Parts: sequence; C-alpha cells; structure tokens
Amino acid sequence: MGFIQLNVLNNAASNVALGIDLGTTNSLGAMWKDGRPIVLHPEGDSGYVPSAIHFTEKGAAIVGRQARELAIVDPAHTLFSIKRFMGRGLAQVEADARNVPCALSETDNGVVQFEMRGRKYTPQELSALILMKVHDQACKALGGIEVTKVVITVPAYFDDSQRQATRDAARIAGLDVLRIINEPTAASLAYGLDQKKHGKVAVYDLGGGTFDVSILSIEDGVFQVLSTNGDTHLGGDDFDRTLVDVAKKELASIVRPSTLDDRAFLQLLRLAAERCKIELSSDPEAYMHVSLPESGVQWRRKFTRHEFDALTAHLIERTLHSCRRAMADAKLGVEEIDEVVLVGGSTRTPAVRSRVEKFFGRRPHTELNPDEVVALGAAVQAHVLMGGTRELLLMDVTPLSLGLETMGGAVAKVIERNSTIPCQATEGFTTYVDNQTGVDLHVVQGERELAKDCRSLGRFKLSGIPPMPAGMPRIAVRFHIDANGLLTVTAREESSGKSARVEITPMNGLTDSEVEAMLNAAFKNARDDFDARRAADLATEIGTMVRASERGLAHAADALDRETRRDIEDAVAKARSTSAASREPQKLQKVRDELERATLPLAALLMDQVAKSALSGKKLDEV
Amino acid sequence: MKHCPDCGAKLETPLGCGACGALFSPESTLTPFEVLGLEPSYELGAAELKKRLLRVSRVVHPDYFGSADAATRERAERASALVNEAHATLASDRARADWLVRWLGGPAESEKREMPKRFLLDVLEWNETLELARGASPGSAERAALVELRRVLRAQTDEVLATLAARLSPLPERASARLAEARADLNALRYLDNTLAQIDAVELESLRPN
Ligand SMILES: Nc1ncnc2c1ncn2[C@@H]1O[C@H](COP(=O)(O)OP(=O)(O)O)[C@@H](O)[C@H]1O
Ligand SMILES: [Mg+2]
Repeated sequence: MGFIQLNVLNNAASNVALGIDLGTTNSLGAMWKDGRPIVLHPEGDSGYVPSAIHFTEKGAAIVGRQARELAIVDPAHTLFSIKRFMGRGLAQVEADARNVPCALSETDNGVVQFEMRGRKYTPQELSALILMKVHDQACKALGGIEVTKVVITVPAYFDDSQRQATRDAARIAGLDVLRIINEPTAASLAYGLDQKKHGKVAVYDLGGGTFDVSILSIEDGVFQVLSTNGDTHLGGDDFDRTLVDVAKKELASIVRPSTLDDRAFLQLLRLAAERCKIELSSDPEAYMHVSLPESGVQWRRKFTRHEFDALTAHLIERTLHSCRRAMADAKLGVEEIDEVVLVGGSTRTPAVRSRVEKFFGRRPHTELNPDEVVALGAAVQAHVLMGGTRELLLMDVTPLSLGLETMGGAVAKVIERNSTIPCQATEGFTTYVDNQTGVDLHVVQGERELAKDCRSLGRFKLSGIPPMPAGMPRIAVRFHIDANGLLTVTAREESSGKSARVEITPMNGLTDSEVEAMLNAAFKNARDDFDARRAADLATEIGTMVRASERGLAHAADALDRETRRDIEDAVAKARSTSAASREPQKLQKVRDELERATLPLAALLMDQVAKSALSGKKLDEV
Repeated sequence: MKHCPDCGAKLETPLGCGACGALFSPESTLTPFEVLGLEPSYELGAAELKKRLLRVSRVVHPDYFGSADAATRERAERASALVNEAHATLASDRARADWLVRWLGGPAESEKREMPKRFLLDVLEWNETLELARGASPGSAERAALVELRRVLRAQTDEVLATLAARLSPLPERASARLAEARADLNALRYLDNTLAQIDAVELESLRPN
C-alpha cells in the first residue's frame, strides 16, 4: 500500500478518501488507486453490504449480508430500505411505513424513529450503522488502514432535508464527509472516465428505492449536469410491492386476516416477491413461494413476465415522465442525446431496458457494472477533492427550486431548479412594526405554487435586528446552496452592517446536539462491541489455560511443594468461576494474568520433564 | 487587479489565481463580466462564454480546495457561487440584456411594465388557444392549433431577439433612448416566453401518467 501516506501514531491515512455508495438496497465502498477507481472488498468477499440491519435479542445490531439472511428466520427484527425514511416525517412515509416490521414514532422535530428491542433508532443512526460496516469492510480491504475521509453519494433528487440526514448519518458514524455527490453524476464520472466520452449523456438510475435521471454534457474532463429529475420514492421496492399486492389478495382466503396485517409476514412476502421479480429478469416465468410452517400454509403462484410487465408498466411510465421533464429542462430533444447509461439493480428488468431504449431511441450502455459505477464515481470525486487532479471538473445542479412562503401561503422562488451549484441568492426584508427585532422565514423546496404543497425545510428565525422604526431595517438574507447541494442561510442588517442571527428549526432533521449525542452513543456501542469481542477471546484463552493447568497438575503434582500447588488450584478455580460469570475484559484479564503467574513453576517443571523425556526418547504427548 | 498580488501571475478572474491557488475576496461588487474576465458587451458567443466559465471554475471551484481549511473552502464556495451566478446572467440573452440596460442607467423592469401594444389583442387569443388545448387529447384540432401557435411565437421571439441585439450592439450611450426601447423588447419577450412555457407545460402535462 505504498501510495497511502500513513500517520504513524494512529495508522490513519492522511492523503486518501473513500467513495461510498449508501444505497437503499446495497452499499459499497471504493477508492482511487494507481490511476483508477477500484471497489474495496476484503478477500473472498464482493464488498457489497446489503443495507439491512438485524437486531439480536440483546439489542446488538448485525449489518449486511448476515442481517439479510436473518431476515428470513426473524423478519420482525430486521430492517430494510432505511434510506426511504431519511429526512422524512411520519406523514410522508405512510406507504413505506407499512413495510416496516416494527412500531414507528417521531421526534419533536419530526424525525422518524424505529422501535427495535426496546430502543428507538432514527434513520440517521441506522444509516450510520451501515456506513460503519462499509467503512470497516473498506479499511479491512486496505489491510487495516484507517481512512476517515469520505465522499458519500445521494440520489440527485434528494432535497435538503434528505441530504442533511445523510451528512448527519456520516457524522454519527465518525466519518469526515468531504462531499456529498449525486448518484447519477457519480455514475457519469466513472463512465466518462472509462470511455473518454464527449457529448450529451442521459443517466437513468433505478435502484431499490429511488429513481433519478440526469442529463449531462461531457467534454474535455468537464462533467456539466444540465438538468436532473426523479422521484425519491420510486424503485425496485415498488416493483416488489405489485407482486406483494397480488399475493395478499390471493392469500386472503387462505390465511387468517390478522396474518395479512402482520408486519413480519409482510416482510416475508416482500422477500419472496423480490426473488420472483429477479428470476423474471432472466426467465419468462417464475414462481413466488410463501410458506408458513406454523400454520401449514404452502403457497405458490406462477407469474409470467408478461403479467409482471403489465403490473409494473405504470411505474416505468413514471420514470419516463421524469425523463421528459429532465429533457425539457435541459432544452434538448431526445435525438440530441448521444449516450444513455443505465445504473441501479432495477435496470436489469427487461421491460425497463426496452422502454428506456424506445424512449431515447438508442440502445443504452450496460457494459459497466450497474452495481458498482456509483461507488467508483464517488472514488473519482474523492481523488479530485484530495488534490489528486485538476483535469476533472464536476458541475452539478440543485434538483429543486428553493422558495420562501409569502403572506398568502404562496411561494416566492429564490433559486430556480437546475441552477448550477454552488449558487446563491440574496433577498431583502424589512420589519412591519416599530422596534421589531426578529423576522420569521419559512423556507421550502419544490415546484408547486403553494408552500403547503412543497417540502418544508424548516423555519428560519432572524433575530438581533437593531430596533428601528417599521420599514427602516434593510435585512439582506443570503441563501447559499453549496457544492453538496446543502443550504445555508445568513442575514445582515445593511444600514447597521450587523449580522442578524439565524436560528433554524429543522423540519424532519436532527439538531447538532442530537447528532453529538448519537455520535457518542455510537462510539459507546463500538467500544461495547470491542469489549465483548475481547472478553470472548479472553474467556477462550482462559479455558485453554485452565485445561492445560489441570492436565499439568495431574502429571506433576508430586514434584510441586504444597504451597505452589494450592496457589495453582486457587488460581484455576478463580479463573474458571470468573470466566463463567463475567464478561468484563478488565476482570478477565486480571484472572488470566494471575493464573499465568501462579502456573509459572508448573510450566517450568513441565518444560524440564519434556526436556528429560526427549532425551529418553519419549514423545512429547506421552509425558 | 490584473495580476496576482501573491505570485504576480496574470489573473483569469479577480476572484483567484490559477497559478498559485490563492483566492481573493474583492471588496467591491464585481460585474458578471468582471467575474468571468470579459469586456461588457451584448454580443457574446456561447462557446466563448463556456470557455471562460470553465477557465474560471478551474481556479475557484470548491472541489479543488477539498483539503483546505474551512475559511478557504468557504471562500471557494462564495467565489464559485459568484461565477455561476455571473454565468447564468450572461448565458441568457434576456438576463444579459436586462443586466446591461440597468447597468447603463436604462429603465428597470418594474419601471416599464406595460404590455407591448402590438400584443394587446394577441395575448387574449393566445390564452384562448391554450385554454382549449388544455383538456384536449393529443392529435386533436385544439392541440394542432397549439403547435401552430408555438411555431408563430418562436418566430416572433427570434424577431424580437434580433431587434434587441441590434439595439444593444454596440452598447448604447448611458441613459439613452435606445435603452428604453430595449426594455420594451424585453417586456415583449416576457410575454412570449411565458406563453411558450405554458405551451410546453400543456404538452408535458398531457403525457403525464396517472
Ligand atoms: N436481476 C434483477 N432484476 C430486477 N431487479 C433487480 C435485479 N437485481 C437486483 N434488482 C433490484 O434492484 C434493486 C437494488 O438495486 P441497487 O442499485 O442495488 O439499489 P440501491 O442503489 O437503491 O441500493 C432492488 O430492488 C433489487 O430487487
Ligand atoms: Mg444506487
């Protein structure tokens, strides 16, 4: 690993950063190495971390492939598709909530919480667990080197709340986020880099939970996004749901009504539906199987690809309408698109491919692995951000218009959608009554006319305006959308030059102190995990030592004086009882050390005997 | 400021130096032309503008300051936002003309809002065509009328843009009458653009899946 600069104190890399694709279904890490981005996976492992979390009886979190497997035996304690809840309140996730096998609640600021094994988890904390797992895998692949700087991808159509939630998740995971970039843009980086392409490219990204389409112009290393569109609640999960709905209807006469509402049962149906769907991508027909041994239910249903296509046609149609909007915003006709790139697992569905091909009138590119391009692109961007090259320039856009709620509940646009980021706008405000020192702003994102139909980003309270007659203060409020697509708001009273304070009540977001507390809790959990592993290792070691000591005593007791023998017997008894009762590494370490000290004379004696018997031609194990 | 105070290299933009990587926070407000290192003029080729955007972005874009301190990163963010804002202004014929008219002391949009006389009757007719087409199915006579209206309005737009270009190049004297005429053209364009956008919206909406 000669290319990595290491800080010798903590084995941390200082000159490299990871790219992480934090997907609804699968997550993956990559890094720039030897002139190209590579996927990071430990030996004998693909590196994909299924974005699934299982909670054991004791409340420990198991993340990834193992969690996915445990979902089959214990669906009630396994969570999927957490990304669909990021930056959202309960009211906006009704359909998704029905797929969750546990109770949901909401914090004061409208952050969804999942109740698992007696604890509540926000989507940010759950995503942090996934990020930690991906990070851990990546660092393992690098031979244990600690890389804490990361670039994380999000769907292009993610709004500010969803991006903030992603950044908070990374903070909770203890990662240093260099940049949040858009998934289709990342894909285009990996693609354009590989092919040294020029021209207009459409990236169609249909994953597990989200759909994005971005139209880019690629030229001499400049990746300029012209427009983007999508749906943060449309993906493979919805394709699965069409099969689940059929199954539910047909199972209604077979299982008890209560079973049909049982969250764990629904989870089971969903997994069965997904398996059937994936088979239909390669076979013209496939079966969906559901078995409930406890109630003797064995259900099997054949789906033809034709039937599946009919069930899902409206979903594909929705993605195409997003494509139309994106094309209109880019002011391009389909005939002007030079290349179409498919990203995301759901683009393996044959109907998706053929509909996209028909829409754009050209065969889409599929030679890049649709599961890897996003992480690879994030690694390219990480390389740029670490100062690796100035050859590449990425110019992305903000997906949604930013606006302020006016007196009548309408929206006054401040920044138009598809503006190149970073971008800014300054708006002037004044006061309505004498000596008014504060102004409230309601900031929204979206294209609808009324504020109530847009996404609320929260209330911004300007305070500290110097007391003046009504209408006198000239407050300039600056809205800045940074290269991550994240909004910051600052304000100044122009006549006094004083900067006003901007207090934000995030909508569906965490406050800084909440993130801080979760970060500490996550570290505590990580330490607990570490302690548990160490305790387990020590207990095993003590067990081996106890057995060896007992065997030794049986052989050589006569050769030891009584006091030494008593010492050893006491130490063995204590070690045995402690390792049976305690899981505290410190305690275990102490009895282990005591046992070692007490048995030193025995060990010396045995060594002596071994030496002698060796001379007399006996084998070791006959001593 | 034409040369970098730090290293003396020639500057592409007053916002930073491509040679030594320094970023500057100019005291006074820069014009969009200054930001991109261009001379003010209405005639501006798209290719030339894009070239300037990329040149300057390569100097100030936050991606190239990923491992810099927070203050530098913030400066890059601000500089880059200014560059993108300047580019957005100059890339649009309307926004560029509007900026030049105001810069030269001509009337602002809010001072001269009245509908251009020649559109008085037309606008009513346009709205009716739009209204009829809204509920109509693709391929109907109403939709065909919409397509025809779009053709007509696009031709008119091109005409007005050509007149506007003639008025603004070379740049008129400060506060001259030509600025008021240019403002009237811009007002006409507002009506045309608006109607064309509504036509596009009707077409897009009719394709929306349920
Ligand atoms: N062969 C396949 N045919 C159809 N859908 C597939 C296939 N393989 C994976 N999928 C679906 O792709 C989705 C996951 O895609 P992925 O790009 O990994 O998602 P995300 O980026 O949201 O994590 C899931 O809904 C999965 O069921
Ligand atoms: Mg994805």
